[in-house]
Amino acid sequence: MKTVFADSLIIGGGLAGLRTAIATRTRGLDTIVLSLIPAKRSHSAAAQGGMQGSLAATIKGEGDNENVHFADTVKGSDWGCDQQVARMFANTAPKAVRELATWGVPWTRVRRGPRQVVINAERVTITEKDDNHGLISARDFGGTRKWRTCYTADGTGHTMLYAVDNKAIEFGIAVHERKEAIALIHDGSTCYGAVVRDLITGELIAYVARATTIATGGYGRLYAISTNSVISEGMGTAIALETGVASLGNMEAVQFHPTAIVPVGILTTEGCRGDGGLLKDKDGYRFMPDYEPGKKELASRDVVSRRMTEHMRKGKGVASPYGDHLWLDITLLGKEHIEKNLREVKEICEYFLGIDPVKEYIPVRPTQHYSMGGIRTKPTGESRQLSGLFAAGEVSCWDMHGFNRLGGNSVAETIVAGMIVGEYVADYCERSSVDIPTSVVRAFVMREEAAITEIIGRSGEDPYELKREMQQIMMEKVGIFRMGSDLQEAVDGLRGLLLRSRNITVRNKARHSNPELVEAIRVPKMIKLALTVACGALARTESRGAHAREDYPERNDRDWLNRTLSWWKDEKDDLPVLEYENLDVMSMEMPPGTRGYGKANMIAHPDTEKRVKQIEEIKESMPNADRFEVQRAIMPYDLPEKYQGKNERVGVGFE
Amino acid sequence: MKDLVESVRSPVPAWLDVTQSVTGLVLAVFMWIHLFLVSSILLGKDAMYYVTGFFELRFLTDWQHGYPVLVSIIAIGVFAIFILHAGIALRKFPVSWRQHRIIRDQMRTMKHSDTNLWYYQAITGFVMFFLGSVHIYVMASHPDKIGPYASSDRFVSEHFWPLYLVLLVAVELHATIGMYRLAVKWITFGGKDPRRTRKRLKVLKNALTVFFLTVGAATFVTYMKIGLEHRDQAGERYSPATRHSSVQSQQVGDE
Amino acid sequence: MSGANDGRTLKFHILKYDPQQGGDKPRMVTYEVKEAPGMTIFIALNEIRETQDRALQFDFVCRAGICGSCGMVINGKPDLACRTLTAKFKKPEITLLPLPAFDLIGDLSVNTGSYTRAMSERVRTWIHDEEGKQVDLNELEERMDPDLADEIYELDRCIECGCCISACATKRMRDGFLGAMGFMKVARFAVDSRDKRSDSDWYEVIGNDDGVFGCMSLMGCEDNCPKDLPHQTKIAYLRRKMVGAAR
Ligand SMILES: Cc1cc2nc3c(=O)[nH]c(=O)nc-3n(C[C@H](O)[C@H](O)[C@H](O)COP(=O)(O)OP(=O)(O)OC[C@H]3O[C@@H](n4cnc5c(N)ncnc54)[C@H](O)[C@@H]3O)c2cc1C
Ligand code: HEM
Ligand code: HEM
Ligand code: SF4
Ligand code: F3S
Ligand code: FES
Repeated sequence: MKTVFADSLIIGGGLAGLRTAIATRTRGLDTIVLSLIPAKRSHSAAAQGGMQGSLAATIKGEGDNENVHFADTVKGSDWGCDQQVARMFANTAPKAVRELATWGVPWTRVRRGPRQVVINAERVTITEKDDNHGLISARDFGGTRKWRTCYTADGTGHTMLYAVDNKAIEFGIAVHERKEAIALIHDGSTCYGAVVRDLITGELIAYVARATTIATGGYGRLYAISTNSVISEGMGTAIALETGVASLGNMEAVQFHPTAIVPVGILTTEGCRGDGGLLKDKDGYRFMPDYEPGKKELASRDVVSRRMTEHMRKGKGVASPYGDHLWLDITLLGKEHIEKNLREVKEICEYFLGIDPVKEYIPVRPTQHYSMGGIRTKPTGESRQLSGLFAAGEVSCWDMHGFNRLGGNSVAETIVAGMIVGEYVADYCERSSVDIPTSVVRAFVMREEAAITEIIGRSGEDPYELKREMQQIMMEKVGIFRMGSDLQEAVDGLRGLLLRSRNITVRNKARHSNPELVEAIRVPKMIKLALTVACGALARTESRGAHAREDYPERNDRDWLNRTLSWWKDEKDDLPVLEYENLDVMSMEMPPGTRGYGKANMIAHPDTEKRVKQIEEIKESMPNADRFEVQRAIMPYDLPEKYQGKNERVGVGFE
Repeated sequence: MKDLVESVRSPVPAWLDVTQSVTGLVLAVFMWIHLFLVSSILLGKDAMYYVTGFFELRFLTDWQHGYPVLVSIIAIGVFAIFILHAGIALRKFPVSWRQHRIIRDQMRTMKHSDTNLWYYQAITGFVMFFLGSVHIYVMASHPDKIGPYASSDRFVSEHFWPLYLVLLVAVELHATIGMYRLAVKWITFGGKDPRRTRKRLKVLKNALTVFFLTVGAATFVTYMKIGLEHRDQAGERYSPATRHSSVQSQQVGDE
Repeated sequence: MSGANDGRTLKFHILKYDPQQGGDKPRMVTYEVKEAPGMTIFIALNEIRETQDRALQFDFVCRAGICGSCGMVINGKPDLACRTLTAKFKKPEITLLPLPAFDLIGDLSVNTGSYTRAMSERVRTWIHDEEGKQVDLNELEERMDPDLADEIYELDRCIECGCCISACATKRMRDGFLGAMGFMKVARFAVDSRDKRSDSDWYEVIGNDDGVFGCMSLMGCEDNCPKDLPHQTKIAYLRRKMVGAAR
């Protein structure tokens, strides 16, 4: 049995994984990163639009700060997030942006003087201050009150990932590529690492570590059409689920992005709308103002996606062989802007659609995009059940996004989580002892070895077939709008697939690099994840954020202001176990309110009023306090010391 | 890794690269001028006669052959540059069979024009290395044997024409490709779309190749024609008609 | 959408070779696929794998032309397979070869990762700031000229797909040659005001025959770069700079 030892094992070489690795490496720990692919090809590279951080350097960001960012995030989450985590995040995000600037991200900078922008379909001239020239600029994004999304043209994720990976290389961090973690090694209370399959040789290797951090990204590929990369199959989430010990949170919270191109589902960034692009229907009519007179195209993603679906249901969609779609019109931004700031979008249109977005409309429709749910952790990033197991980035539910994530908050989360969780991982490593039970390790490797032998040996179900059926069910029955009856059918259907998947096999019997075997190992895990999504959605009889039940259209804080937890307690189970974790209104900094979309349709929580009053009182009791003191009085939160500092902003200093 | 890189730090590669380019440039310019001079035959035997004379500084003397040794000196100088250039360029040749196979394979699959051009350049360079040396040796050793008849006789009666034919094609290809390559190597193409600039440059390069080949071919044909007509009197030297009438000398064959 | 050619039957000629399988030899295998509107090579290869050859190996990640995973030689040209529409080819014959110059994993899959890591270590593709400089992340960031930021981004767009490496005969003939990907990295960091490396420092990296003086200006890199990086202008610039730094 080949065994590799490390202090800090990071599964996943995207932004979150690499940033965590840098944090633990900086603390002097022996750090290894695992990745299915070369780290720079991770899905993080696909993020186009930008990264939120309240630097307030552009004129349209003036007045922005942690408070505003925090409030936007909580609202965006439909009050489903952990507000302490949102606070940790909002305070660290500006530092993250600035750190990346020193690591080489060529953030688009503020240019002094007037420039033309398109706001609400009109050309407007805004004038940037002389004083702010050369600072990091920001653009508008959905669901934010200020222009806060820092960017590099539309290659933000790419430049971020390259900067961070380069930093990791500078630190000599080993990235073991083409390695897939297929199971976690644990003894029911502590995690000791992972069983890893070398995707080239097929060899199983035990990676044994003091702390294991999962940073494997989302599970978008449970859906047939998704903006996610083809490797976003949720394997990290699944191996945590399969421990039977660690819990997942809010798996039903799945985001659909309004503007992915039809049919392939490749994303055109939210920056298209942020920069002034419009949504139009088959008559060329701009319909969003009818639904959302306030924010229009720039309402939160879940809202826009639902409005688009509604509008198409009214027969206003454009018919195509691949189903109805709507138009995204960015022609009004002009050639120069598109070629400079939306170049990737232009390339995508040219290569995949054969159209020129400078002159033509882009066919779009809402498409699966982001996984708010994931491995449930404490604010430190550590699993609530398995010590030594951490999660960071899209894979985690620590829980910053609640039921809906704001555009630009995700890549920001990956870095911020890497910074914060990385510190806690390092603390853990320094605390923990090294005695790792070899027998446990050996047992896990042998179990996986046996499972693979069995898959290869038997005759049975086809992984591709099962996967296709699963993805179809998820598309049709666990989509943007959800109905109890559909969800029940989904659960039943998926359950059937799960049973069949226990008999999965491969035609290609090679043990080394064998793409079919990779599928055969993953698909049963994916079906389990799909079941946690479907079961969670079926059980949650309310609408919150991205989870929109047509049979329960109201947000029900009274009964559902909680987080869904799911477990797979026994391997032989064919459904997950669900439990709920209440969100405590009495400790919230921002008690539940309306997001300000459509007409408010909600059942209030009994504590809400009480808490609102309490907060008023706290504020009144400290008339001379600054905003930081007030905040601390209302909702104290923890943060590694090095990230506790106040953030300077141009013009206002550290205020 | 760092140590490895540092230990080989040396300015030599930079000099070599510059020298290769400068010698290439000098040779190319020389060859273009050379072609114009040699092609003076197109304007008539007299024109060629005077051009030859000019290089022998015949106008400074009152005897007819001037200082042919000057031609030798030029030839030796050019030969030195020629060898220097070739010697440096040879470093870039596909030296092993493996490398040769790789470049052939690359050309076959990718069909990429600039890569192909380089290969033609290497091949033509290789060819010139031998043929050019012979030619320059002849020029340097018999500097006095240049002229409308003498040269033509060399083409036909001394059987140099196959050498010239090959050399002509080789040198014209090599020189224009080389000049294009020089631009690509050293100049930052401006404009909004540098790729287009390069495309245009390539069109210019092709036009130049065609031009020089045409002139060269016409020259070749002319020498051949004269050589054929003059085959029976091979060895006889040319005297220009004008000179015949103005100068009393009977020294025929003294060009 | 490009549905003009639907109904054609495409013939894919694909190099098959599994170096880990004892006795296996490289060979071309032909697969037939019915063309669908908007079909890319990504879609076609997945279909082939699902329905005809479960062992077929290839790499895709983003399938959107941004991650650089899917470089292969498509009808003679190194390119990104995921964003190549089959409709682009007049003849319904498509030949696919793995990118040369990289270690072959199997069929169309090559190991670009080990290559790029080594390249990164060689060029040291990270910002080299002043030694011992401590940045306070709470304070305003250092300013940068907006045009410079744009200029860096232009060069930072490289996705390390390896097309330029495979398209370079020099690189293929000479293993130690840095190759265009490396030059683009050097250019990227050399232009960045945050990186304090001097020309003389760069000379140590590329001032030799495995570096910029080894480039024979074949331009396969520029002509095959899916991200249209400015190879010619940058390599010429580096060459001049390095001559200036030769000592
Ligand atoms: C098209 C698109 C555009 C986006 N744009 C934006 C945007 O503009 N702003 C924004 O904030 N967010 C955006 N997002 C979201 C954001 O990009 C992602 O949420 C974020 O990048 C996730 O990063 P990560 O590090 O968590 O995971 P990833 O980047 O997905 O990395 C996952 C890593 O895990 C590895 N891995 C996976 N499974 C295993 C395993 N079993 N064993 C070993 N390794 C494994 C993979 O190899 C990979 O290295 C966008 C998302 C998409 C789809
Ligand atoms: C002995 C004969 C010659 C040989 C073997 C030879 C070979 C080569 C080769 C291989 C190159 C390409 C070098 C590179 O890509 O880096 C080259 C470049 C060049 N050659 Fe020659 N050559 C010869 C003679 C000539 C002559 C006679 C001329 C003039 C007409 C000439 C002009 C050039 C030019 C202008 C270049 C471009 C310079 C550069 O790339 O730096 N060469 N030569
Ligand atoms: C200083 C050196 C040189 C001198 C004095 C010289 C002179 C001449 C002369 C006089 C001719 C006419 C034919 C003859 O007399 O034989 C000629 C022809 C030619 N020379 Fe040279 N030459 C020189 C160098 C070169 C070099 C370096 C090359 C190429 C590598 C070259 C290529 C040719 C060719 C191709 C022709 C034939 C032209 C045609 O047919 O159009 N010469 N040269
Ligand atoms: S320079 Fe272009 S071709 Fe080369 S690796 Fe980068 S993107 Fe690919
Ligand atoms: S193809 Fe190769 S030789 Fe130079 S110009 Fe590009 S690196
Ligand atoms: S799969 Fe990412 S570039 Fe093709």
